[in-house]
Amino acid sequence: MGGATLAEASVQVCGGVLGAPLLPGLIQAAKARLQGRRGPGPLQPYRELRRLWSKSTVEVEGATQVYRWAPATVAACMVAAVLLVPAAGVAPGWGVGHDAFALVGLLALARFAIAAAAWDTGNGFSLMGASRDLTISVFMEATLVLSLGVASLSAGTTDLRGVVAGTAGGGAWATPALALAALAFGIVVVAETGRQPVDNPDTHLELTMIHEGPLLEYAGRDQAYLQWAAAARHWIVLVIAAQVFLPHGRTVAVQLVALPAVLAVLAGALAVLETVVAKMRVLFVPRLLGVGSALALLGVAAWLAPR
Amino acid sequence: MSGYRGDVADALSGSAIFGALYATGPVVRTVLIGPDGSPGLISAPVVEGSVPSIVDLAPAAGWDEREAADLYGVGFNGHSPMRPLVAHGAALEDWTVRVSGHDAYQVAVGPIHAGVIESGHFRFHVVGDRILHLDAQLFYKHRGLQAAAEGRRLREAMALVARTCAACSVTNAIAYADACEQVLALEPPSELRRVRTILVELERVWNHLNDVSAICAGVGMAAGNAAFAALTERARRLNDALTGHRFLRGAVQVGASDLDWDASAVRRAANELDSVRTDAARAWRELAFNASFQDRLAGVGVIDAGRARALGVVGPAARAAGLDRDERCHSGRLSYDGFAPALPERPDGDVRARYEQRALELWQSFDLLGMLLDRPVTASRAEPGPAVRIPGAGPGDETGIGVVEGPRGRTVCILEARDGQVIRLQLRTASFANWPAVAAAAAGSLLPDFPLINKSFELCYACVDR
Repeated sequence: MGGATLAEASVQVCGGVLGAPLLPGLIQAAKARLQGRRGPGPLQPYRELRRLWSKSTVEVEGATQVYRWAPATVAACMVAAVLLVPAAGVAPGWGVGHDAFALVGLLALARFAIAAAAWDTGNGFSLMGASRDLTISVFMEATLVLSLGVASLSAGTTDLRGVVAGTAGGGAWATPALALAALAFGIVVVAETGRQPVDNPDTHLELTMIHEGPLLEYAGRDQAYLQWAAAARHWIVLVIAAQVFLPHGRTVAVQLVALPAVLAVLAGALAVLETVVAKMRVLFVPRLLGVGSALALLGVAAWLAPR
Repeated sequence: MSGYRGDVADALSGSAIFGALYATGPVVRTVLIGPDGSPGLISAPVVEGSVPSIVDLAPAAGWDEREAADLYGVGFNGHSPMRPLVAHGAALEDWTVRVSGHDAYQVAVGPIHAGVIESGHFRFHVVGDRILHLDAQLFYKHRGLQAAAEGRRLREAMALVARTCAACSVTNAIAYADACEQVLALEPPSELRRVRTILVELERVWNHLNDVSAICAGVGMAAGNAAFAALTERARRLNDALTGHRFLRGAVQVGASDLDWDASAVRRAANELDSVRTDAARAWRELAFNASFQDRLAGVGVIDAGRARALGVVGPAARAAGLDRDERCHSGRLSYDGFAPALPERPDGDVRARYEQRALELWQSFDLLGMLLDRPVTASRAEPGPAVRIPGAGPGDETGIGVVEGPRGRTVCILEARDGQVIRLQLRTASFANWPAVAAAAAGSLLPDFPLINKSFELCYACVDR
C-alpha cells in the first residue's frame, strides 16, 4: 500500500465513520445562523450520539427480530457504503470493492431494512414515513443510477476509484454530459439526505415526516445507529458529489486536501437551500426526481452524441 | 314549525345569524345576532330532560348542543347521533364517524404532541395519504372555569375569564366586561372605548404575526418562520412595556381602566409599531416572491363561502371565504367608527386566502393603532347609562351579551347575573366556532398537509377547554 493509498484510507474511514456527524451538525449550525438564531454548535450530533448511546433501547410489544435488527443492518450497510466510496482516486479494497452500482444496492438495502421494521411494528407514523420513502426511492434510485451511469460512461468504468480519476481535471467537462449528470445528482443529494424541499429533518410534525417517521419507534443505541447512518448518508453522497460531480484535482493529494473544504461548502449550500426553500407537496417530489432522471438521460444522450 | 324551533327558523331566515347556544339547567337558550350586531335570545324550556334540536336549522350549533348535552345532561331531540364532545371515555365507535371501504384505515395523532401544543386527539380516516374524514377530540384540559365563575362577584370572575386563554385574553375579557356593564347599566366613555380598542388591536397584531410564522413552520419555511417569530416577540414585548404583561392579561377590567400612558409612552409604542410594520411588510414581500412557499398554500384545505356560512365559521377564516362579516363594523362599545372589513381579492377559502387575510388585517390593525395612539391614555371609568335589555331574556333575569371581534373572529360572552353575582357564564370563543371547520377543511386534503391547514386556522385549545 503506497503513501497515497494510506492517506486516502485514513481520510475515508476517519471521515466516513467519525467525521460524518459533523456534516449534519454543520448544516444545523449554519441554518441557525441564517435564521438569526445562535443555535447549537456543529458538534451537537456527537453530543446526541453520546446521549443516545448511554440510554437503553425499547422493545415494541409484538415486534419481531425484523424490528430488532433493522438499526444494526442500516448501520452495517452504511459502514460498507463508506468503505465502498473512495475519498480520492485511489483506495484500498476493504473487501467490498468500489462498484458504483453496489453502492446503490447498499443504500436500497438500508431503506428496505427500515421499511420492513416499520411494517413489523405497524406504527402509523413509521408506516406512513416508510411508504413515502419507498415511493420516492423508486424515482430517486432511477436518478441515482442514471447519474452514476453518466459518470461511469465518462470515465469508462463503474469502479468509483476509476470514476473519480476519470472525471478529474477539465477533460470530462468538455461535453455537457457530466454537467447534466451533476444537476441530476444534486437532486439525489437532497433526496438521499432527507433535506428540504424533499423532506424536513428538523420537523416535529409527525404527519409530514418521510425519513424521520420510521425512526420514531427506536430509542437509545438503536436510535444512535440510525442517526449515525443518516449522517453517513450525508458523507457518502456529498463525497461523491465533491469527487465526481464537481471539478476536482487530478492528483490524490489535491483531492484529499480539497475534500474537507468542498464538503463544508456543500453543507453550507444545503443549509441555504433549507432556509430559503419550503418543503414541497409530497406528491410533487416524484416530479422533482423525474426532472433529475430526465437530466441524467440527457447526459447519457449528450455522451452518446457524436463528437 | 312553531315554538322554539319556529322562532329560531324565523330569525335565521330573516337576517340574524346563529351566535351561541347554551343550557342553564331548566332552559336552553339560543343567541342570535342581528345584522347590526345586536344579540337576541330564544329560550326553550327543558321538558322531560330534552329540548328540540336546532342543528338542522343551524349546523353551527352542533358543538354547542353536544357540549350542553355533556355538561348539563340535556337531550336534543333530532340531534342524532349525539356524539360526546367534552365527555371522554366513550368507545371509539361512539365519538367517531364510521368510515369503511377498501384500503381505508385510521391514523391517530395525539393527544400528546411534539412541540409546544395543547392536548388534542385527531383521528384521521385515510386512504393512502388522502384524508377522507377527521374526528377531533379536544377538551382534554377542560378546567370548568365557567362553572367556577358561578356565584362569584362580577369583577372577581374577570380573573377566570382573562385566564381562559392567553392568546385571546383581551378579546375574552372585553366580551365579559361588555356583558357585565350591560347588566350593571354602565356605559364605557370614549376614553375607555379607545383603550380597549387599542388592547384588542394589539392582541390582533401579535396573534396575526404569530399565525404567519406558524404557517411558515407548517411547510418548513425556516426564514419566514424565524422572521415572523421575531416580530411576534417584539409585539409581545411592546405589550409588556405598555401593560406589564406579554399577553395583555389583567389590562381589561369591568367598568374601568387603570392604564395610564403618558405622551412619551404612547409615542414610543407608536414608533415601535411603525417599525414592526415596516419589518413585517419586508418579511411579507420576501414570502410573496418565494415560489416554493406560495406553491404550498393554494387550493389546500378549502372551506368555501357556502360551507363557511353553514358551519358558522367566524373571523379571518370566514372573510377568506368571502363572508364579509366583521363585528368591528358595529361595535358600539369600542372605537371603530367608520370601520369596514378588509376583504380578500381572491376569496378562495383555502390556506392561501386565510394566510393573505392575516396580512390584510395586520395592515388594517397597524392603521387603526396609529390613529388610536395619537394622544396619551388616561385612566377612565364607565358611566351610568341606560339598562340594556336583551330581547328574549326573561323578566327579572339580568342578562348581558358581549360580542367582540378578536384575532380569530367573533367571541360571544353571555352572562346571567343576579345581585351582582354570576349565575351563568358562557364564553363562546372564536376557536370554539371554528374547530369544526378545521376538520371539514382537512377532508379531501393530503395527510402531510394537515399541519399546514391546522395552522392556517391556528385555533386555541384553551379557548374550548374553558
